[in-house]
Amino acid sequence: MSILHIKDLHLGFKTLTGHVDVLHGIDLDIAAGEKVALVGESGSGKSVTARIVLGLLQETRTARISGTVQFDGQDINAMSARDRAGLRGTEMSMIFQDPTSALNPMFTIGNQFTEVLRRRDPKLSKAASHARATTLLDEVAIPDPARVLGAYPFQLSGGMNQRVMIAMALANTPKLLLADEPGTALDVSVQAQTLTLIRDLVEQNGTSVLFISHNLGVVREFADRVYVIYRGNIVEDGPTDALFANPQHAYTRALMSAVPRITGAGLPEVPEVSDDFLAPRISHGGAL
Amino acid sequence: MSGILRLLLNRLGISLIVLVGVSMLIFAIARIIPGDPARIALGPNANAEQIASLRAEMHLDASLPVQYGHFVADVLRGDLGMSLYTNRPVTQDIAQFLPATLELVFLAGFIMVAFGLPLGILAARHRGRWQDHLVRVIALLTVSAPGFVWAVILMLLFAFYLPLFPIAGRISDIYDIERTTGFLTIDTLLVGNWAAFGSAVHHLILPAIALSLSGIGQAARLTRANMVETYEKPYIEMAQAYGFFPSRIARSYAFKPSLIPSLTIIGLDFAAMLGNAFLVEAVFAWPGLSRYGVAVILRKDLNAIMGTVLIIAITFLIVNIIVDLMIAFLNPRIRYSTRGAS
Ligand SMILES: Nc1ncnc2c1ncn2[C@@H]1O[C@H](COP(=O)(O)OP(=O)(O)O)[C@@H](O)[C@H]1O
Ligand SMILES: [Mg+2]
Repeated sequence: MSILHIKDLHLGFKTLTGHVDVLHGIDLDIAAGEKVALVGESGSGKSVTARIVLGLLQETRTARISGTVQFDGQDINAMSARDRAGLRGTEMSMIFQDPTSALNPMFTIGNQFTEVLRRRDPKLSKAASHARATTLLDEVAIPDPARVLGAYPFQLSGGMNQRVMIAMALANTPKLLLADEPGTALDVSVQAQTLTLIRDLVEQNGTSVLFISHNLGVVREFADRVYVIYRGNIVEDGPTDALFANPQHAYTRALMSAVPRITGAGLPEVPEVSDDFLAPRISHGGAL
Repeated sequence: MSGILRLLLNRLGISLIVLVGVSMLIFAIARIIPGDPARIALGPNANAEQIASLRAEMHLDASLPVQYGHFVADVLRGDLGMSLYTNRPVTQDIAQFLPATLELVFLAGFIMVAFGLPLGILAARHRGRWQDHLVRVIALLTVSAPGFVWAVILMLLFAFYLPLFPIAGRISDIYDIERTTGFLTIDTLLVGNWAAFGSAVHHLILPAIALSLSGIGQAARLTRANMVETYEKPYIEMAQAYGFFPSRIARSYAFKPSLIPSLTIIGLDFAAMLGNAFLVEAVFAWPGLSRYGVAVILRKDLNAIMGTVLIIAITFLIVNIIVDLMIAFLNPRIRYSTRGAS
């Protein structure tokens, strides 16, 4: 069963100077329990894709979206805004790049956790939510959950906030987790730890993941399948092993041969732009 | 908690310095403007001897520093001197007129916050849409005229042509209410006279609205601006990604962080109402401190001028301290200035 099925997704923005096309017909599938990576350079259209899946970009008046985005059999684009919001935080959730700025500075972690848990169970009492949050924080290996629940985000380290955000994202056992360059704002070792943590938890729960990254090393470790995106087009896709063993598309090859700027964490710099990058999509199969 | 206490002591210290500065400045200015206060007080028929003795009594022949020393010593004893205009102790005048002004300013401040903030929240939540444009027009309209112009307009419209509200005064003449606090809305309730309470509120509404209007526009624009900025923050996208209701995101997730920068300015606007009240009081014949202040300035009534300015400065400083404390209480970063957890 496909959890996410994207077919011929187009996105454009109305701007002051006219119309810009950002996505030019994306196809992407994620099976139940599958971890899929979307890789590409900055500005290639990764985050907007995630925001369309979440149903957020549909509320932006300047965005023009067409194509099919089926989540668990329902067409997101055809839904009402209210129904889309109903899926967020329950059936799908998101992990953000910088955990500390993604948590509200005016509320304690405990307060924010309660709000998240009440998305699934609106009548959840404060005490019950505290108990549940404690268990969940325990599962992400946070040593003193009670203290963390009473703290504000700025009182915790980035790594700690990252764990909190992971626990929140998985609290309502969503079917799909979107992770937009998680932990890129943190240092490399913390980033590696959190990726292992995410992988263990989603494998336990059978959660599907759309993992967005520009870091090929991380993607290779994490994903079952990979889509390479270049300027709003998927240029190559396939099972991680097959794709890394035998990259076919000129852009994928350039990405892989490029030297990362900072070991393990930085953007690989593709030295030059080639017309070959615009060659048609190559698929290694593997999708449902 | 120690963070708040430290803040309070700090603000009190600063306020004291400001107060000393203000009193010296006003003291100097009041002595420099031409005209002999003793001569003015005694009127045209006074003879040179009478004037000389009053001048001595008022220490007017001493040097300025000595005069200021006398003044400070008196103030510390709670003695602001006699008003030459009313022939009563200045403290007594202030006790009579200040509550009327505060009653007006408090209600106006409340109206400013009660309407300005929700309008700003509405505009920010629907930024770029018709609600936003409507609030912008309202805000521009209210800010475009100062309080006393609104006072005249409102009075003409709703007291004169359409006599819904009384034209002047604080309460109908038929009531004789014992002054306990000086706040008529409170004193009428203390004696349990509901009709008088109604009359006091009725008299209060138009001047309070006139005084608050430009503040409403400013508070709305400020709240909108700060909230629109907050809406760009990652934690708002996160709240949206969790499917929280847009109204809840507006009122809580976006509004609270943007309230802190707004509050400082709103506090200043509130304090500025003390000054704007001068002309609004004049229009509505409101027997407040501002009218008293104008009267004593025109008569060069030194003690009364000093007293009035000092009281207004103190009120201003108290409002500022309260605003600072509110910000500290609202902002967990200040509340926990000593890192509680790490
Ligand atoms: N609200 C918007 N209005 C106009 N252009 C946008 C908007 N959001 C994103 N874009 C453009 O869409 C392109 C893809 O953005 P994004 O998905 O954020 O890239 P990335 O792959 O780095 O996540 C970029 O060129 C960006 O400028
Ligand atoms: Mg991005």
